[in-house]
Amino acid sequence: MSSTKNERSYKAQKVIDRMGQKLNRQMVGSLAACVHCGMCTDSCHYVLANPGDPTFAPAYKADKIRKLFKHHYDWTGKVFPKWVKAGSVYTDEELHELKDIVFGKCTNCRRCTVNCPMGVDLATFNRMARGLLCYVGIMPEGVEYVAKEQWEIGNQMGVLKEDYIETIQWQEEELQSEMEDPTAKIPIDKPDSNIVYVINPREIKHDPRSILDAAKIFYAAGEDYTMPSEGWDMTNFGLFNGDDELGGAVAGRVYDKVDELRGKKLVISECGHGYRSTRCEGPNWAKKDITFDAESSVITMLSYIKQGKIKVDKSKNPGSYTFHDSCNNARSCGLTEEPRELLSLVVENFQEMYPNRAENFCCTGGGGAMSMAEYRPSRLKSAKIKADQLSATRAKTVVTSCHNCVDGLTDLIGHYKLGMDVTQLVNLVANALVVDGIVEENKKKYAEKEEVSSGASQ
Amino acid sequence: MSNLLHFSEHTLQEVALVLMATVYFLRIRWFLKWPLGKERQPATGLGDTNPKKGERYSLGLIAKPWAMESTRSKPFMYAQFVVFHLGVIASISLSFIIPYGPGLLKSAAFVSVIQVLVGAAFIVGVMRIIRRISNPYIRAISSPDDHFSLILLTSWFAFAFLAAPNDISGGEGTMLTYFLLTAFFLMYVPFSKISHYLYYPFTRTYLGRHFGRRGVFPLRRKPAYQVSK
Ligand code: SF4
Ligand code: SF4
Repeated sequence: MSSTKNERSYKAQKVIDRMGQKLNRQMVGSLAACVHCGMCTDSCHYVLANPGDPTFAPAYKADKIRKLFKHHYDWTGKVFPKWVKAGSVYTDEELHELKDIVFGKCTNCRRCTVNCPMGVDLATFNRMARGLLCYVGIMPEGVEYVAKEQWEIGNQMGVLKEDYIETIQWQEEELQSEMEDPTAKIPIDKPDSNIVYVINPREIKHDPRSILDAAKIFYAAGEDYTMPSEGWDMTNFGLFNGDDELGGAVAGRVYDKVDELRGKKLVISECGHGYRSTRCEGPNWAKKDITFDAESSVITMLSYIKQGKIKVDKSKNPGSYTFHDSCNNARSCGLTEEPRELLSLVVENFQEMYPNRAENFCCTGGGGAMSMAEYRPSRLKSAKIKADQLSATRAKTVVTSCHNCVDGLTDLIGHYKLGMDVTQLVNLVANALVVDGIVEENKKKYAEKEEVSSGASQ
Repeated sequence: MSNLLHFSEHTLQEVALVLMATVYFLRIRWFLKWPLGKERQPATGLGDTNPKKGERYSLGLIAKPWAMESTRSKPFMYAQFVVFHLGVIASISLSFIIPYGPGLLKSAAFVSVIQVLVGAAFIVGVMRIIRRISNPYIRAISSPDDHFSLILLTSWFAFAFLAAPNDISGGEGTMLTYFLLTAFFLMYVPFSKISHYLYYPFTRTYLGRHFGRRGVFPLRRKPAYQVSK
């Protein structure tokens, strides 16, 4: 087929035109520099789980995007297209084939990135390719649905404001009953707090226990914190669907709320992609410099223990534990030591997983894969690598600092019948809390505060 | 020495070098015209690294095969990489030494060093050709340019090996082929993947800066904290 513009579908043309607007120098470097050495091949869990199938190789997948770049934006591809494997897309079917690669065969985990001698960052331009396809409406149904929820309702699980508030209030009651302190609170929209605490909507929908656990820790530390009534979703589907506008809008909502509440620090609950999006990529997408501190709740919990604000007893968490590094935390944000240090303080028996830290394998549910039902069989097949890693530790429980990884790991543990539990640090810290004396102290502080405020109002 | 060989050793090489430099200049200019993606976020990580440190680490990875899993787990591949690139340096140097410093080649030891380097690179080149054809993963990602560049370089090593003694008493064929190949190589390189080294400093610097800012580079493999009892 000849390459005249007229023969190209409307969507294919849009993808090509948009690519030129999305490329930056870092991406162009990655697209131009690959020498097809194949050193990255074995770094990908898809390759390892599908031996003999080269279509899973990072460079093979990258070339499906690279060929467009070469054909339309790199002059070697314009002069000698066949010689350098440059090519274009003409039909919507070809775009759908590309969709199956960029969404279905790569979790954007960046393991190949840290293993490429040339410094090629496939995951970054794979995300760009996802964005190009989403721009013309070609994406997995689940991705479309979740992105729509996040655009329209303000969080990726479509949680309504009333449900959110109700769940927090329910957890507040739980906190009061567990602490036997009717004055214990989970404040909402409290201005001028030290901490504004944002969460993953999964915590509202499926895991309210983690909200309670975080509240217990804040309570024990005597923290002055609040949860926001809006802009509370720190997850961001913009990272997964490559839509910088969505990414900027979602992160911007969180930042605006912290500004509005005059919060001093934004604390992001345990979630790899949420942490990366809100802490790292958000300011770039939103084109906004944040004026407050922002950190993962892992760092907050660790500092409480180190500063003596909370006391923990690791014997309360018997059993053997291993730790799974979320790709986004470890490979994209350098959050590898704090979770381990925290874990060493709250459990007795920790078994390291190999490889680990920035070399760890993806839980295989990353890059939004958990929302793409059509790729589940291939995801679970690729999860064999993670399953082998997990079972080699002989640990009973795998700990992770990511809600998405919790789901990915739970799915694969069930599939491969590993019989392991999955938990997060917030659950272990809350379980290890030593609260003797704290309740009385907090009640006293509360009474003093009440006295001051009633005195002031008289 | 015939006029043809003299022309090949001098004028042809000079023209080829100028052409290569011109295309390289255009390539870099094209590359630098792309906007540089900026990062606004405050740094992450333990605070013991920064973008500059990340850049240095990233650029230095070439000499640290133990640092990346891909090179750590394939030491033989890394050794091949070193040998192959030393061969390239030796062969290019030879193309300058023969016309401009032939005295150096009077030393048998020096000639032997060049021959060992390009000879070893030739063997690696043959191994790489076999790998590119026989390994299904490598075959699947290879372009005609990948195959051609590798065959070109490997043949060039063979002729560099033969040309190293700088002896034309048995005829000029070998020397002429070596210089014609060198000129072709110089003119072809900017259009092929062999020019990857042009991008290398940029890609590694940008990645290092990015990962340094985020506390990822230098990659950590040991705990950076004291395990409490
Ligand atoms: S991405 Fe890097 S490691 Fe992979 S084939 Fe290309 S240059 Fe080699
Ligand atoms: S980013 Fe991860 S999943 Fe994607 S190709 Fe690289 S190693 Fe494989």
